[in-house]
Amino acid sequence: MMDLFKSSKDKWLCQCYTYLYMALSWSQSINLKKVCAEYRVGLWQCPQFLFLIMGVIIILAIMVTYIVASRYEEPEIASLAVLVLTAILFAIGNLIVRAFEQVALASKSKSEFISIMSHQLRSPLSAIKWQLNMLLQGQSPVNTPREYLETIMQQNERMIRSVNDLLEVNRIEDNDLILRPAEFSLKELTLKIINEYTSYASAYNVSVAFKDGENSMKVFADEERLRRVIEHLLDNAIRYSTNGGNISVNIEKQNDGKIVWKITDEGRGIPSAEQRRIFEKYFRSSDAARFQTAGSGVGLFIAKSIIKQSGGEIGFSSQESKGSTFWFVLPVKI
Amino acid sequence: MGDALTSKGYTLIKALDGEIGLAAALKEQPDLILLDLILPKKNGFEVLGELKKDPATKNIPVIVLTNLEGSNDVEQALSLGATTYLVKANYNLEDVLGKIERVLNHHEK
Repeated sequence: MMDLFKSSKDKWLCQCYTYLYMALSWSQSINLKKVCAEYRVGLWQCPQFLFLIMGVIIILAIMVTYIVASRYEEPEIASLAVLVLTAILFAIGNLIVRAFEQVALASKSKSEFISIMSHQLRSPLSAIKWQLNMLLQGQSPVNTPREYLETIMQQNERMIRSVNDLLEVNRIEDNDLILRPAEFSLKELTLKIINEYTSYASAYNVSVAFKDGENSMKVFADEERLRRVIEHLLDNAIRYSTNGGNISVNIEKQNDGKIVWKITDEGRGIPSAEQRRIFEKYFRSSDAARFQTAGSGVGLFIAKSIIKQSGGEIGFSSQESKGSTFWFVLPVKI
Repeated sequence: MGDALTSKGYTLIKALDGEIGLAAALKEQPDLILLDLILPKKNGFEVLGELKKDPATKNIPVIVLTNLEGSNDVEQALSLGATTYLVKANYNLEDVLGKIERVLNHHEK
């Protein structure tokens, strides 16, 4: 290529080469990898990287067109070269637009999440405030002071769970989710949680049944984290059973020795168009959309991250208006 | 909130979702409706819109009592016909009771 630049009429081609070199140096100076990592997107979804690629291709396109046009007399060949490069530019342009779409979508989901989350935190806070108001006013014809204190306690717990979810999302994003696995009975843990959720389920007119499968259901995982996974799955199953119904939970041992935990509800199900996004962070089904249920859109994201890091798998099947089955598989300690 | 209103002598009709709330408003013709925006089945905006469209319920004053505070939310609720918009976390129980009393008195006149 350097031979080409010896000719004086190719001086501008040399300039193109210089611009190309400058573009690449610029990319090195701003450390694209770091910038894209900060956006938490892959290189091919990172606008800065795609912008650089587009710039490089434009410069190359001009150089190649010039070389082709100067080497071949037939205009068809030059036109063809331009056409091919235009097609490549079009494809790259499309990628850039998609990358921006992703960024815009993430920003929209985040705003929505902040709005939901502030509501989630405010609701227990205002409930606590008003219960305290009632207590301070003295006698109430309706409830005893103990009942008010119990409500305050429940609301406080609710707030702690919301804040813990936020912190967990942050840990996952920073790859700082440290699990402390130990052997424990998944059956015992499940029964304990179902028991704790009995009154909550009754409020939704839902009954939760545990189907006893295998007796020895010891798994090797972080019990506290797994509790959260089960709580999120059970909570979702109850909240989306908008017309009441039955929820069944069962645990089975697969042929390969792995333990499968499964929950089936008769709720609204997940619209098929939204099923691929269900484990995304901040994603909420359009049915759930802001005003339908109290979920924050991070429960399934947290559940998936915990199960994945525990060496397991998580998935679901769902039919709109008929219900959903969510499951996870965990390895057993050998 | 319910306890505070009961202790002040008000009679309460509670509805746990938007659909039940609409049906109850139509049947019971209350003096005032306290409406949250985050409701199952039908959200508060939908409920408010339907209440204000229906000649049987359009004159019932509606106080939106919620923890949502986006400027769009406030604007939308007021343009749909809410009498006032209160953010729960920003008010003491006494303040809310005072507002309820004022709306009821004003409406009676």
